[in-house]
Amino acid sequence: MRWLTLYARSRRIPASLAAVAVSAVTVAVLVRDGGGGGGGGPIEPGPSVLVLAAGAMAFSVGLSGQDAALDRTAAIRWVPRRAAHVLVAGAVVAAMLLAVRTVGENMATAAFVARDSAGLMGLVALGAALAGGQYAWTLPFAWLSFAFFAPPPTSTPMEVATWMLLPPGTAAGTWTALVLTVVGTAAYAVAGPRR
Amino acid sequence: MNLRVLRTELRRSVAPWAGAVVLVPALAFLYLLDAAWWRDTTAWTAQWTPMAMWTRSLLFYLWPLVVGLGALQGLRDHRSKMYELLTSTPRPARHRAAVLTGITALTLTTAFALLVLVGAVQVWGNTAYTHAGWLPISLVGALFLVAGATLGMGAGRALPSALTPPALAMTAFVFTVLMHASLGRTETLTSSGIPLTEPNQVSLLSPTVEEVRDALLTLSASVHLGQTVWLLGMAATGFVLLIASTRAARLIALAPLLAGGVAALLVLPSDPARMYVVDKAAAEPVCDGPVCVTTTQRARLDGLVGPGKEALRLLHTALGNRAPVSVRENATVLPWGSTPRWSRDSVLFEFDDAMISGVKGKELTRALIAQAMVPMCVPTGWNGTAADPSAQSVAVAWVTGDLEPLAGTGYSAAEQSAAARPVWQDLKALPQDEQLARISAMRTAALSCEGDPLAALKGGASR
Repeated sequence: MRWLTLYARSRRIPASLAAVAVSAVTVAVLVRDGGGGGGGGPIEPGPSVLVLAAGAMAFSVGLSGQDAALDRTAAIRWVPRRAAHVLVAGAVVAAMLLAVRTVGENMATAAFVARDSAGLMGLVALGAALAGGQYAWTLPFAWLSFAFFAPPPTSTPMEVATWMLLPPGTAAGTWTALVLTVVGTAAYAVAGPRR
Repeated sequence: MNLRVLRTELRRSVAPWAGAVVLVPALAFLYLLDAAWWRDTTAWTAQWTPMAMWTRSLLFYLWPLVVGLGALQGLRDHRSKMYELLTSTPRPARHRAAVLTGITALTLTTAFALLVLVGAVQVWGNTAYTHAGWLPISLVGALFLVAGATLGMGAGRALPSALTPPALAMTAFVFTVLMHASLGRTETLTSSGIPLTEPNQVSLLSPTVEEVRDALLTLSASVHLGQTVWLLGMAATGFVLLIASTRAARLIALAPLLAGGVAALLVLPSDPARMYVVDKAAAEPVCDGPVCVTTTQRARLDGLVGPGKEALRLLHTALGNRAPVSVRENATVLPWGSTPRWSRDSVLFEFDDAMISGVKGKELTRALIAQAMVPMCVPTGWNGTAADPSAQSVAVAWVTGDLEPLAGTGYSAAEQSAAARPVWQDLKALPQDEQLARISAMRTAALSCEGDPLAALKGGASR
């Protein structure tokens, strides 16, 4: 328990949690007030993706500790711990969004939330493995902005490129998210944060 | 401030990265995706103003990214854990801040200028109309990047937490998205009762612009002015935050941002029709006899004169003094969703019309005749060609004498002739003055966008 507390503090978990909660509530309230065309219409994926990406980005800063060299001196098995860190963070982000769905009712389904939170967290982990925790957020952020600005997908490559906005159950979206989760988590678990 | 300091700063700061992040993804985005910015007269390589507008619309995601990168830069001193040492030197903090913002501004502006240059080289080869009216759009765009990065740096200095860069980037992104989606738009009904949204005043605080829908539309001067005021406030806040060392100074630093925002909202136009205005110089007609195009399209006038005059001659033979007397490119830009207004005296056409753009010579003559007899009543901004090709085909056949399918209607030749042949044969069987009466009724219905031209042609609802 004591190890967990110290670890959480060194990985800025409290601050990240606060940021996730704030972003989720903000977007949910905005969705309810600014209402994308009133009830009854199709569910817009945008707000939910924003919450999930904001959550993943908030947790990204904790993927590297205060001192990488010091971390490495600890004679513990890092691989399962790092993998668990990524997966738990993804689960927390998803849970947070599912919780605020009660406020902003016009938000995504559970399948959508599961797919996107897993994929985005994998992407963040990949970013941390490639560039370090400080810069890990740039990868999901760039992809998110691309997905928002790109025209609606017509071909499979474009579906892969805009996976996070696809309706749940689309094969290309599910597979991209799955690959990102597996590759990102594995890369981060094995290699650790850069530097 | 000598060059060596600048060079060191260039090596040690994220400024070169910020420049690369502006240039490379933006170019990849424009070139890899085959989307609206490659189409028609509003393509980003076709005319100067659309080029400036499309590159500017990329700030949708470039701007939040630059704000985030600025925040990363602002955290550098905190991370280096030697800020106390720096404050103990006699050099004032504003000198260091000036070098940092200067080099960031330089790289960002260079990157954005290169992006615009890539477009400009292509536009240069594609249009005969060169003007400087697009420059303010790009200059304000570059200023947005610089001010955003400065604000990010200031925020990173004021709130030295690893969470600041992602939080700031995300906030900026949500801001641009909301300005583009709900907060920045008001819902209205068009004259024909179709609900749609139009940008409002607040949306102009966002760096991005509306999708380019007409090559003649440009941003008005008051938009540039208001945005510049807003950006100067933003940059001032960022800079003061970067050098402020006390809590009170940081609070005071927010004043320029707020003042800039308020002043901008006073200056910015609130009516959408005064945000995106028709560029008068670009819309000025260039004529060769009765055939006119706008200045932007004057390179295409030569190809149009022959077919245009021929179409007018044929129309005069067929309709007598009720025939149109000129062919003009449509230079009026109507609001979204409004019904087009056609003229009885001149054939109004648009180069984006699939019937006009892809054809030459005799085919172009026939397309112009079709446009003169039965123009389409699709609301502005809605995609759509002839809902029913038969009225146009029959009308053209009546003028030229033979029934041939038209190109670019979206219907195959077989479909067109199958639909048009019975109507054409019925019409031909009638006496001459009855034919003329029906054609007139059809034209009235089509030009006023009321009633069904085909029904009028068949002699049905010919009122």
